[in-house]
Order: sequence, then structure tokens, then C-alpha cells
Amino acid sequence: MDRVLLLRSMMLIRAFEAALLRNPGHGFQLLSSGEEAVAVGLCAALTADDQLLTSGRSIGPALARGLDPGRVLAELLGKSAGPCQGKGGRGHIAEPSAGFFGAHAVVGGNLTIAAGVALALQSLGSKAIVACLFGDGACGGGALHETLNIAALWKLPLVLVCDNNRYSVSTPRAAALAPEYLSDIAKPFGVPGQTVDGMDVMAVLEAARGFVELARSGGGPSFLECVSFRFSSHSTATRDTRTPAELDAARSHCPIELMAGRLAAEGLLAPDVRAELEHDVAEAVSAAASFAEASPFPDPSEALSDVA
Amino acid sequence: MSREPQTRVVKLFFREAIARALREEMARDERIVILGQDVGSFGGSYKEFLGLYKQFGAARVRDTPVAEASMVGVGAGAAAAGLRPIVSITYMDFLMLGLDPLVNYAAKARYKTGGQLRVPLIVKTTAGAKGQGVAHSQCLEAWLMSVPGLKVVAPSTPADAYGLMKSALRESGPVVYVDHKRLFPMAGEMPEDEQITPFGLAKYLRRGADVTIATYSHMTQVALAAAEALAAEGVSCEIIDLRSLAPLDLATVCDSAGRTGALLTLEEGQIVCGVGAEIAFRVREKLGGAVRIDRVGALAAPVSSNPVLEAACVPDSARVARAIRGLLAA
Repeated sequence: MDRVLLLRSMMLIRAFEAALLRNPGHGFQLLSSGEEAVAVGLCAALTADDQLLTSGRSIGPALARGLDPGRVLAELLGKSAGPCQGKGGRGHIAEPSAGFFGAHAVVGGNLTIAAGVALALQSLGSKAIVACLFGDGACGGGALHETLNIAALWKLPLVLVCDNNRYSVSTPRAAALAPEYLSDIAKPFGVPGQTVDGMDVMAVLEAARGFVELARSGGGPSFLECVSFRFSSHSTATRDTRTPAELDAARSHCPIELMAGRLAAEGLLAPDVRAELEHDVAEAVSAAASFAEASPFPDPSEALSDVA
Repeated sequence: MSREPQTRVVKLFFREAIARALREEMARDERIVILGQDVGSFGGSYKEFLGLYKQFGAARVRDTPVAEASMVGVGAGAAAAGLRPIVSITYMDFLMLGLDPLVNYAAKARYKTGGQLRVPLIVKTTAGAKGQGVAHSQCLEAWLMSVPGLKVVAPSTPADAYGLMKSALRESGPVVYVDHKRLFPMAGEMPEDEQITPFGLAKYLRRGADVTIATYSHMTQVALAAAEALAAEGVSCEIIDLRSLAPLDLATVCDSAGRTGALLTLEEGQIVCGVGAEIAFRVREKLGGAVRIDRVGALAAPVSSNPVLEAACVPDSARVARAIRGLLAA
């Protein structure tokens, strides 16, 4: 695994979201900034045939999975060139043929769907596995517990990854969830769980690799909790309830700077290489913006196509 | 369906007709799997899955925990990823627990992915009052009819239980298949050869000249009894079994109502925003004010397990006959 590429992937997500916010038509968006290491570390552990399902906070995961930034941006802006022809839009990006089975913006709503995808892959004799990424907000609902039960019973090839960004909109995790570690939720089901630093892409990757291998070898499901920091408010339309000091503290744990510092210390990231990466992702984002801008909105008649 | 004179006929109970359709289709298409409570060696709460576990094994006929929400979700996800799951929800009342994956995911996945995914999921469930009380008796079809992307069918005979299940198993999108507790003891004839009942096609159960009754599922039996009683009074009822609620065969209802000039809709569920309300509006749109319309359904109350109160709540033939007399006198 080229660790510089992991850094680049995180930088791309950060730059992409910054550019998205500059677009006056961006509307309501669920940003991944601060949580890049979770998506990038997890996706680095998957193979092309595996399927990833996510919550609505899906920009980072979609880009980390390798979806074309221009098409992702088109989808977020409701343009026809998006993989869902602009009909899924924010919160519902999908490109199953690229291993991104899709985002689903009902909190916890993709967990049972992911178990079903895993059941289909298992039944059809595929070696592919399913990863499902969800927030801490999904841990208080029944879907997770029902999914853990059935995935454990049927030894489904399913890696459940909780991106614990510590907040459900405004509600702190401690006010909503009783377990000390969210990965402990898996224990009564006999499902292995682990909690890692979600700001450290290598920690996420290493843990995800183990669980992906377990699922692929028939060992069944697992639960990986990645503790992260959300750098923005819940959405671009939601006010942040954290104080400036809290936000500064959160942003001081930057997954990009952590990785860049580590690579630089090892002599793997000279200043000019970092600058080159910055330039590289800026170009990719600029190309994505041009592509998305050039794409038309769907014709109004599309409202009635692909309904049933 | 036209029937050749020499076609051999078999007589099956309602539950056997469902099992026959599943057996034939599962043998034809190995992607079909059944998920649900007590569907395995037990054979289903109404024995509608009897024999399938033995024939197709535990991987394709899977007993599940009592967890309707996740089972509908697992079925939807598995359907989107290449299987054809039938999720059995023992009582339609419990389908409420599974409405999120059914409505928010299964019904919308094709649209929201711009056609990249299809969700050929069947939710098979049992509706209707039969002494089991407020949370085991409801008919909620009308809720589902309004969900874009969902198809809803409700057979009233073993032949259609078989034929509609065969159709459902060949659909490309999600279907809710609603049977009825009081129909399971019914036996009926069907051709020995394969027969498919297409969606969106109603059927005349009885021809008549004075009034059209549009109904479905077990209420067809109530309508037939009411028609018998009214025939003795010289009133001739035409009865339409809708069979499929979404899509709805409005053409057949309009043909009949246009001829008789009077339409009674009959359902076991609630009439507010009900199947009948929808049909009445669409018939009025098509035929204008020339047709007199009334609707009959359950009283606006829960359905008790108390036999007196259950009978008072759910439509019976006397209530239907009374409504028709009123309609024709209007």
C-alpha cells in the first residue's frame, strides 16, 4: 500500500468539499471533512469486487472508493452526469458497478440492506465482502442490533464500520448511547469488535484489513469503531452547537496533517512532494467542477422514469 | 384466462396454491429464497410453505428471528444484489415494523440510483380479522397503494393466489402480496398446467345489471353473499375482484360502473383514504357524475378479538346489502 496515495486520497476529499462549498448551488450537504481517514483507511482494505454501503455522509467514502470526482460532484449538484443521473443526489450516491453499492440517508437505514447484500454475495458463491459505514447516531436504533444478530447467525461476510464522530446533529454521543465503547455492542453476539483512532488512517486500515480478511475467509461479521472528529456542523444547513474553542480543538486532530507529518518524518514526503500533491488534487477538483458545471440538469420528464 | 375444454383441472386449498407457485418458481429460478418466521420445517403459520424446506433446503427456506424490520431490509438488500427473496410477514400489522426498508429503500432504489439497481423483493403477508385482536387483524393495503414504486396484489381464490404469486416472482420491482386468514380454508380449481395471473387485471366474479361492487380479497365472499340476498329482492349485482390494487384496473371498473350506473366499493380496511376512496375519485374523473358511488369498509375503530365487536366492526353481507339498497334508492 502506497501510503502517499492514502494521503492524497484524504487531501482530495478535503479539497473537493472546500470547492463544493464555494459552489453557490451546493444546497444542503453532509460533509466528511475531519473524517477522511475513516473512509480512506476502510476503502484501502477493500478489493474492487467488494461492496461499500454508507450513511448519507458519503462524499468522503464515495471518493475514497475511487468514484470519479466529476461524476460525484455532478450527482451532489443534481446534474445528469452523476452516476444516478442526479436523481439520488446528496445522501444517496451509488455506483454498484464500482463497488459503491450506495449511500442511504436514513440513519441506520443501510445496515439491514448491507446484510442483505452480504447474504446475496454469500448465496451466489462470491468471494466479495460487504462493508457498511454508519455514524454513532445509528448505534442507538434497533437496526444495528438486529443486523448483528442475523449476521452472526448466518456468518455473513459483513464488516460494520462505525464512524463515531461524537455527535448526532447536536446531541453528544454520551447523551445518547450507554456503552463505553461502541464496539462493545457487538460482544453479546459473539462478533469481534475493535475501537481505533479514526483520525489515523493507518490504524483504520490495519484494523479494517483484519476484519475484511475474516469476512472473506468465512469467519463472519465484525464491528470496527473509528473515533473521529467532525470538522463542520452536521450539514451545511445546520448551525454548529460547539464553541469555537471546541471546534479548534477538534480541528487540531487533522488526519491529513497526522499522516503528512508521519510520512515527512520518515523521509517519504519532501516539501515539494506535498506541494505537488496539493497541486494535483486542486487540478482534479477543478476538472471535477468544470465537468459538473457542464452537465445539464435532468429534464423534468425524468421525474417519472425508473419509478416502477 | 381462457380454458381449453380438455385442460385437466386440479383442486387445491389456498395455502397449497401458494406453495405450488413457490415450488414451481423455485425449481425454475435458483435465486428465489424465502425468509421469515416459521417458514422452514414448520411450513409456515398457515402451512403455505409446506414441503419447500424439505425440497430446497435451509439455505433457500430460512427461518428468521422475530425481527420484521431487519428481515424486510435484508430481503431488499439481497434483492438489490441479485437474489429474489420472498419475505414472509406473518401478520400485516407487523409489516409496519418493516416499512422503512420497504418504502424508503425497496420502493425507491431503482429511481434513486437512476436505474442502476432493481429490487425484485416480494413481501408476502396475511391480513384480515379472524378473532386475533387489535394488532393482528388490520388490512393496510391502502397505505401501500400510494407508494410510488410498490405493487400491491391481493388474491381471493386459490387460482389467483397461485397465478399472482407466479407473476410476483417474475417482477423486476418490489411487490406486496396480501393474502387473508379467512381464505386459507378455501379450496378451488385451477388448470393443472401453469397459469399466470397478470398484475393490473381485474376479474368479473358475477355479472349483473343494477350495481357494480368493486372489491378484493376476502370481501369478495361478503360481496357474493350480499349479491345472493339482493337477487332475491330483484337487484342484480355485478362483482369485480380487483386482484391487483397497484396497478389498478380502472378500465374494468369503469366499464362495469358505466353500464350499471352505480358503484359500491367494498374493503375490510378503513375507508378514510382507503382503496374505495381512490377508486371512487378515479371513476368520477373518468365517468363524471353519472355514476352513483358509495363505499363500505370497517367502522372507524380498532378490530377487537371480541367476536361481537369484531363482527360489528368488519363489513358483512347485511351491511353491504343495506348500502346497495341505499345507493339504488338515492
